[in-house]
Amino acid sequence: MAKTVYVGMSGGVDSSVSALLLKEQGYKVVGIYMKNWSKDLPGMKCPWAEDLADAKRVAVKLGIDFEVWDFEEAYREKVVEYMLREFKAGNTPNPDIMCNQEIKFKLFYEKAMEKGADFIATGHYARVIDGKLARAVDENKDQTYFLYRISEEALTHTLFPIGGMTKPEVKKLAEEKGLHNAYKKESMGVCFVGEVGMKDFLKEYIDAEPGEIREIETEKVLGYHEGAIFYTIGQRHGLYIAAEVPYYVVKKDIKKNVVYVSKNLNNGELWTSELRLEDLLLRFGAFRSAAARELAPAARGDGPAGRGPERSGRALSVLVRLRHRAPLIPAILDGNTLHFEHEIKRPASGQSAVLYDGEICLGGGIIA
Amino acid sequence: MIYLDHAAATPVDARVLKAMEPYFTDDFFNPSAAYLPAKKVSAEYEEAKSKIAHAIGAKQSDLVITAGATEANNLAFTAMTTRKCSSSSERSLAPVVTGLGRSVFSTSENMLLGREHSSRLLYLETEHDSVRRVAEQYGGLAVKVLPNGVIDLEDLKAKITDDVQLISVSLANNEIGTIQPLADISSIIREVKIDRYKRGVKTQLLLHSDASQALNLLDINVARLGVDLLTLNAAKVYGPKGVGALYVSHEAKLKPLTVGGGQEKGLRSGTENVPGVIGFARAVELAKEHLNGNRKKYTNWRKILLAELEGYELINKKHCLDNFVVLCFPGLDAERLIYLLEDEKVYVSTGAACAASKGEKSHVLAAISLSDDQIAGSLRITFGETNDEAQIHEAAKIINRVVAKERARVNG
Repeated sequence: MAKTVYVGMSGGVDSSVSALLLKEQGYKVVGIYMKNWSKDLPGMKCPWAEDLADAKRVAVKLGIDFEVWDFEEAYREKVVEYMLREFKAGNTPNPDIMCNQEIKFKLFYEKAMEKGADFIATGHYARVIDGKLARAVDENKDQTYFLYRISEEALTHTLFPIGGMTKPEVKKLAEEKGLHNAYKKESMGVCFVGEVGMKDFLKEYIDAEPGEIREIETEKVLGYHEGAIFYTIGQRHGLYIAAEVPYYVVKKDIKKNVVYVSKNLNNGELWTSELRLEDLLLRFGAFRSAAARELAPAARGDGPAGRGPERSGRALSVLVRLRHRAPLIPAILDGNTLHFEHEIKRPASGQSAVLYDGEICLGGGIIA
Repeated sequence: MIYLDHAAATPVDARVLKAMEPYFTDDFFNPSAAYLPAKKVSAEYEEAKSKIAHAIGAKQSDLVITAGATEANNLAFTAMTTRKCSSSSERSLAPVVTGLGRSVFSTSENMLLGREHSSRLLYLETEHDSVRRVAEQYGGLAVKVLPNGVIDLEDLKAKITDDVQLISVSLANNEIGTIQPLADISSIIREVKIDRYKRGVKTQLLLHSDASQALNLLDINVARLGVDLLTLNAAKVYGPKGVGALYVSHEAKLKPLTVGGGQEKGLRSGTENVPGVIGFARAVELAKEHLNGNRKKYTNWRKILLAELEGYELINKKHCLDNFVVLCFPGLDAERLIYLLEDEKVYVSTGAACAASKGEKSHVLAAISLSDDQIAGSLRITFGETNDEAQIHEAAKIINRVVAKERARVNG
């Protein structure tokens, strides 16, 4: 009896090829379009209906069952509201990480299991090696940054069919198999809200007040902004300050609604050699193997390794990724704090630091 | 390719295209300009409008050219008078054309006319979105259809209260092709008018009909139909897209949605779409010329298709345009059939193309009391000039094959 896989199909090429591969591997495949967001925004038409049609067309082509599961209410509550809350607090949240944690690898997973699935699958570029979350073969596309918070239980029932392929290989296979969406433009970020659209999206939901842009060294007012929450530390575009050298956002005072900038790239606020993490989540299975190498034999066996907070005092050498597709930087995790050998540009609070041991994802935390 | 979706779009007829061509290049002049070549273009534009008007038994001056049927429908509804209709501020809220939601989402949607006035508008529940959405903004009330898709005249009578000013009923439905008894409706309206006159009720009562789907399939005459406002569309009759017209009787007083240079008697400012209207007129001429022949041809094809197809339920049994065949394949998902047929280069649709693209359930099929299962399994096939009889036989064969394959998948 063939095992049953419920595969999340977004209408894009990655999830389409994932469904195709599973079908070829002999699974009984059911395609699911997760309807998370369908509202248009001013000047932006939500492409959900077209995406759905693309997904369904592929499902028909593959001759697999296909359903639409509506998660709009949960997505709004768990992802959008979290995102708005964080932005209002002056942080820069990552809604995609939240969507994976709360929707795709929770609600979708649970519903699929209820319906009798043996596995779920998605078109993420990621792998599972010996039950551990691992980086994709295509380093340029690796999406484990977005997956580090998904539950162990879901992971043990998840297949990432394209994790061993490169994006060009995926596109080529799609074309060879006659999938119409082989060269469809990739969707970006939260549903259709790409990086460019985030500000417009936020403006719809948050009443932001204009405020001052001040130079941090002199407190001089250089210009005005549309709302401090729209700015991210390190940002140097969209400041509308007439100057020959670029200014960087170095600090935000959300209460006073002031954005501080500096043209001095060496300004201390822009750099740091340590980061404190909140909501640290260490992937138990993954951490155990890394910890084993880190600890002296004598220290082993004095309790289960891998429970974040309990391990304080024990330092762990890790690789850190501070943004999707950003380079991996070596660091020492001591308690909840990452220590870097060289100073790094300070990432915005609310973003995630994701930890790796080689190709294994150890988990990560939210930058405080 | 076997194209069986002529209700969604028709190709521009080669003769229509030929008629249009000079007006893009040699005769490009602005009809409002003073010199002779422009005057010549102006005269030809008016002549073209006359041809379109004559085809429906109207005068040239009764027509307002619009950019398609959606705009014509929006314009028709400005005949509604509101309590504060004379104030210019209220007018300034009006210029937003609504319909299929292709344009940018507008937050001002709820600010349109019609929130405060007490007057009413009635529309048939199976109308196209370009009527439904506008009607909703005027606080419109939907009139029911019978299970065969034809207007429930008793429901209509019951709903024509003294505050009703306008009734909108399409001549033929765009999803199932049902032809509405416009003449019967206008008789009812005449009786109501007499009654209102006797009782001293001064409210206007107008009849609007969207005839977009029917111009090349029915002999249309505004006097016979008894309509005050009639919407026409070039794109459905082998003319260019983005060209439509609204017939406006003396009874109806409209307000412009766009103001500017005062073209189209001030109701639709903007430089005239000369090639579009020339093409529209040619398309109308051709439609009239081939009307009877086409009707016979389509009736015959419908018989062929229904005889050769297997395992279907016919949805539009009676009172419908000759080129419409709406079928239900019980237990199957029509959208899947569309994609399977697409692979065979046979193009059909479910319901209205625009509603389908939004992933919505057809409000028309729901209105004629089909079950959700039946709606999911319904296909719309509309014949047209790109087809011939051999294609109809071939299409029947392909559809049978695809349906059998899909049924095997579902049962297996």
